[in-house]
Amino acid sequence: MNTNTRLDIGVVGLGTHGLHRAEILREFGQRVYGSDASPEARREFERQVDDDHFETPTALFEQDLDAVVITTPNKFHAPVATEAMERGIDVFIEKPLANTLENAQRIATVADETDRICMVGYQSRFLNVCKILKWYIEQDYFGEIRHVQSAYMRRRGVPGRGSWYTSKEIAGGGALIDIGIHVIDLLLYFLDESRMEDITSVTRSGFGGRESYAYLDMWGEDDDAHMFDVEDSVSAFLEFEGDTTATVEVAWAVNAESTHAYHIRGTDAGARLDITDVLNATADVHQSLRLFEARSGGADHYLDSAVTTNRNDPYKEQIETFIDAVATDEPPSINTVEQALAVQRIVERIYNDN
Amino acid sequence: MKHEDEESKTIKSVENAILILEELRGCGQAGVTELSDRIGLSKGTVHHYLATLRKQNFVEKTDGVYQLGLRPLSYGGAARERERVFQIGKDGVDRLARTTDETARLVVERQGYAVTLYQSTHHDRETLPTHLGIQEDLHSTAAGKAMLSVMSDSRIEAILERGLVRHTDNTVVDADALRAEIDEIRSRGIAFDNEEQFDGVRCVAAALATEVDELLGAISVSGPVDRIDDETFYETIPQEIRNVSGVIEINTTYRDWID
Repeated sequence: MNTNTRLDIGVVGLGTHGLHRAEILREFGQRVYGSDASPEARREFERQVDDDHFETPTALFEQDLDAVVITTPNKFHAPVATEAMERGIDVFIEKPLANTLENAQRIATVADETDRICMVGYQSRFLNVCKILKWYIEQDYFGEIRHVQSAYMRRRGVPGRGSWYTSKEIAGGGALIDIGIHVIDLLLYFLDESRMEDITSVTRSGFGGRESYAYLDMWGEDDDAHMFDVEDSVSAFLEFEGDTTATVEVAWAVNAESTHAYHIRGTDAGARLDITDVLNATADVHQSLRLFEARSGGADHYLDSAVTTNRNDPYKEQIETFIDAVATDEPPSINTVEQALAVQRIVERIYNDN
Repeated sequence: MKHEDEESKTIKSVENAILILEELRGCGQAGVTELSDRIGLSKGTVHHYLATLRKQNFVEKTDGVYQLGLRPLSYGGAARERERVFQIGKDGVDRLARTTDETARLVVERQGYAVTLYQSTHHDRETLPTHLGIQEDLHSTAAGKAMLSVMSDSRIEAILERGLVRHTDNTVVDADALRAEIDEIRSRGIAFDNEEQFDGVRCVAAALATEVDELLGAISVSGPVDRIDDETFYETIPQEIRNVSGVIEINTTYRDWID
């Protein structure tokens, strides 16, 4: 970290993600305060993080905070984030930016008006393999990128069926806004925030209500509420300016191998980035990058390279970047609210089309 | 210091006035003679009550017959506005009416009875024999049974002691059978009324509770048997209700987070 400043940082929403981010903040030596309306969640925070906690964000915001990390259900991102920024507090919002494009725009507007740092949690951009791939793209190693084939599919990975993740009103959508949003974000990152020209898409719901949902590993707990009114898979074809195209396959549950991969097809070279989730680990992914070329030196040949680099924890790097940004009052150039808003526009478009 | 008996003393004339209003609610319209026969007060007395109530717009008189006025609505409206679950649950009930194309209701419990706080009907077909503010038994309605399932056993027993009134052939009037059904509702999260309150009407409901199992109320969907087949009754409507009840509960937990 570039700074030794000890900041006062609040965490709003003390579910699995909130507790995880709070632990990272603590590891970095920050003073952490928690907030959740659920007494059970506050008890868990006290047990694991052992710091001050509050029932409402308003009470939390009165603690003279430097920043706040927002890990609430998606619907509450906008009210909590805008109140924080209006009180002069910098914010980090877990992805997606918001449950709807309208709320996402509201956050972006308030971030602009209040001139606060507003960073959004698309942690994949911080993976070493993603940073390396981005470096090769910037070096024009691939020539012109014509197409990206991308997929984030879990064989059985509906997050806690029936929890808020599967409620349209609270989450804003299903598989697309939960995991597909990472794909859209990385596509925009790799394609240098290109403008999208057209999109064709289909959303489906096939597994949510099934009684016979055979699985090995549940993402979160099946909830008592049993809400389910969202899509669990999406297929989309995106056309960007300059005739670059991308296919997107997203599924919470599918009868196929689990994968999270990007095939970059350039005029000079190609790549395969594999960041598939590690089964039984909530925040760990495979980290593999291979590059493909064809050359004619000596005799025509294919050249395949495997990138070897250190595995890294993108969640920690992301929080570290945020802490540095708050301490130095310099907004980060990565995971900005503008980038997140561009992602949200595509998500909204797919939902509107279906 | 006041004695407890003195505190619980009631005023007969207020009770009589309420009795007249309740009669008019039940029958719609009535003349002085009819009301006098029904509640056992002299025609002259009933006439005085009606004149007083009419002066305050509690009742209206048309062509010699009396009906309820609109004044009572202002009390109901004011009482409802104060209910947090109404503010948070109203949109969800409208959504339920829209997705099921039947009548959806938001119900709360008061003094061991189910009170309809809000009712939403999306269609213009024949409506159910229920209205805003209606007070019904817990044991014979889906919403009532759903709310019983969230109550403590001692609370349930106190309500059962009042006796289980039969409304239709299907009404569960056996206390043990009702206790067993309440256990099922606790594990399933959904309560059914299969023509137990009204003949020809089916109803599905789920209780609304806070994270610490404090009862907020219930939401229900009801409609005629000929429109609600078994699949709709046991599968489609329960899922729509779950989608909405979950949202209302989350919005209630995080109500201070919504601006």
